[in-house]
Amino acid sequence: MNRTTTLRRFGVSLLFASLVSLLAAPVAASNGAVGLAGASQDNLAVPQWLYLATGGATVGASALLASFVTDRRFIEQVHSWRASVALDDVVRRGLGIVGSALGLALLGFIVYLGVTGPQTPTLNFAIIVTFAGLRAGYTMFTYLVGDTWRAVNPWRTVATVLPNGFVEYPHKLGRWPAVAGILALVWVETAAGVTRQPNLLAVAVAGYSVLTLLGALLVGPEDWFDCADPVSVFLRFYGRVAPIRWNDEDGLSVRLPGMRLVTDDEVTDLADVAVAVVLVWELTFSGFVTTEQGAAAITAVVEAGLPALVVYGVLYLGGFAAFLGLYVLAGHLTVRRIETFETPRALAVRFAPSLLAIAVGYHLAHYFGFFVSLSPMLAGALSSPLSPPANPVVLTLPAWFGALNVVFVLLGHLLAVWVAHSQAYDTFPSRMQAIRSQLPFVVVMIFYTIVSLWLVALPTASPPFL
Amino acid sequence: MSDTRNDGDGLDRHVCERCGDAYPSARLLTLHRGARHPDDLTADEVEAYREAYYDEERELKSFRIRALGVLVLLYFGFLILFILFAS
Repeated sequence: MNRTTTLRRFGVSLLFASLVSLLAAPVAASNGAVGLAGASQDNLAVPQWLYLATGGATVGASALLASFVTDRRFIEQVHSWRASVALDDVVRRGLGIVGSALGLALLGFIVYLGVTGPQTPTLNFAIIVTFAGLRAGYTMFTYLVGDTWRAVNPWRTVATVLPNGFVEYPHKLGRWPAVAGILALVWVETAAGVTRQPNLLAVAVAGYSVLTLLGALLVGPEDWFDCADPVSVFLRFYGRVAPIRWNDEDGLSVRLPGMRLVTDDEVTDLADVAVAVVLVWELTFSGFVTTEQGAAAITAVVEAGLPALVVYGVLYLGGFAAFLGLYVLAGHLTVRRIETFETPRALAVRFAPSLLAIAVGYHLAHYFGFFVSLSPMLAGALSSPLSPPANPVVLTLPAWFGALNVVFVLLGHLLAVWVAHSQAYDTFPSRMQAIRSQLPFVVVMIFYTIVSLWLVALPTASPPFL
Repeated sequence: MSDTRNDGDGLDRHVCERCGDAYPSARLLTLHRGARHPDDLTADEVEAYREAYYDEERELKSFRIRALGVLVLLYFGFLILFILFAS
């Protein structure tokens, strides 16, 4: 036991040391004492390849460090720690009603003010609340605190009070409809101008409401919001990382962040793996097309004679297929490396929850700064929806905020490494097999890390031809 | 305690009677039963599990030494790279 503790301590300190050195890398590190500030004006410049390699190596090294932890009991203790607070029935029902009312009011305001409000994106309630509020802030709340969408979801509220469930949901489709839906929504967000034109956004939200209600009434709200509705599936998968969850039996239950991913077998087939990959991919894609280098690459291909939408479409769907393919390939390699009767697909499903931890890191890296700088505007819009302010306030972020993005990407990956490690110990009886099985997946994770560290370090631009 | 069958691919199936999981070798089944159903084991089986466990401990030890080597290499490698290229 004693040796494990020493090893653990050694591991943790090494991890911190590498994180700190990495932090110092991409930003200007001027760590001279205050009195010497004048003498150390020179910034430390690190070439980009070294910065990327350090990031990849941090993930690889932490996987190696995790492999030193071979004590099954300790691993189990970490992921099964929990505390519950009983929730009074009246309180629970009250919160449910407040949530439903809030959801309905927000939906109504978004559609109404999107059409009638000022058509400037920075002044319009619909744009501010949809993108700064729901896409950024509420999603963060969902994975950092707990998933409340079931109570807030306005379409569920409406669908449950109407007659529903006329046809059986075809369960062999799994969550593929939601995968297609998330891909479609992100496409609309990137290519259709809904982030700039409030009335277009209002029309899109109204159209989405009609489709959702038709679907939910046809197959019943439970199946629809569980498998087919992109927004619900998106938030639900993010919510699996969250520490807090409430259910009817034990009220509020609190777990360590990300540890539900190990114990709750909620990822069951390839469609669920695809949902997890899509969450990682959509952020990588929008990260890529909004950088100067990405924009330049797309411009070059379009100028060679291909239509812009085709280029975007091929990049979008092809990249998704490549990300998913890589993950399934890692499953194949694992099966070849060790003696087991597990199938490659079963292993891909097993290790897929760790992708959600990565997605959380990316989401924070992409949206945290955006959310913080727009939060006064969001607070203004929510407190007085009907009277837009004359001068919207936007916070200017200090330069070190850029370094936070690197930290978020890395923390997401480190959590993912630990989740994969725990999953491996849950799956394989032999500790050596548990270590060997993770290797191909860790290599894929290192690849993802390098790609997204590269993206967060590039200067941003607006995507061309859209 | 194990039920050995052939699945046709040349690999024996060692199936756990308690939960139905199958493993390609008797050693893996022993490790599985020891880790997952420790209360079901007879004294002989506990002995077998202990042996398999310590056997693996040797393998793990050599892995740890190699992993530590890679970590040291990474650490000093990057230290040197930073000294050479970061300015």
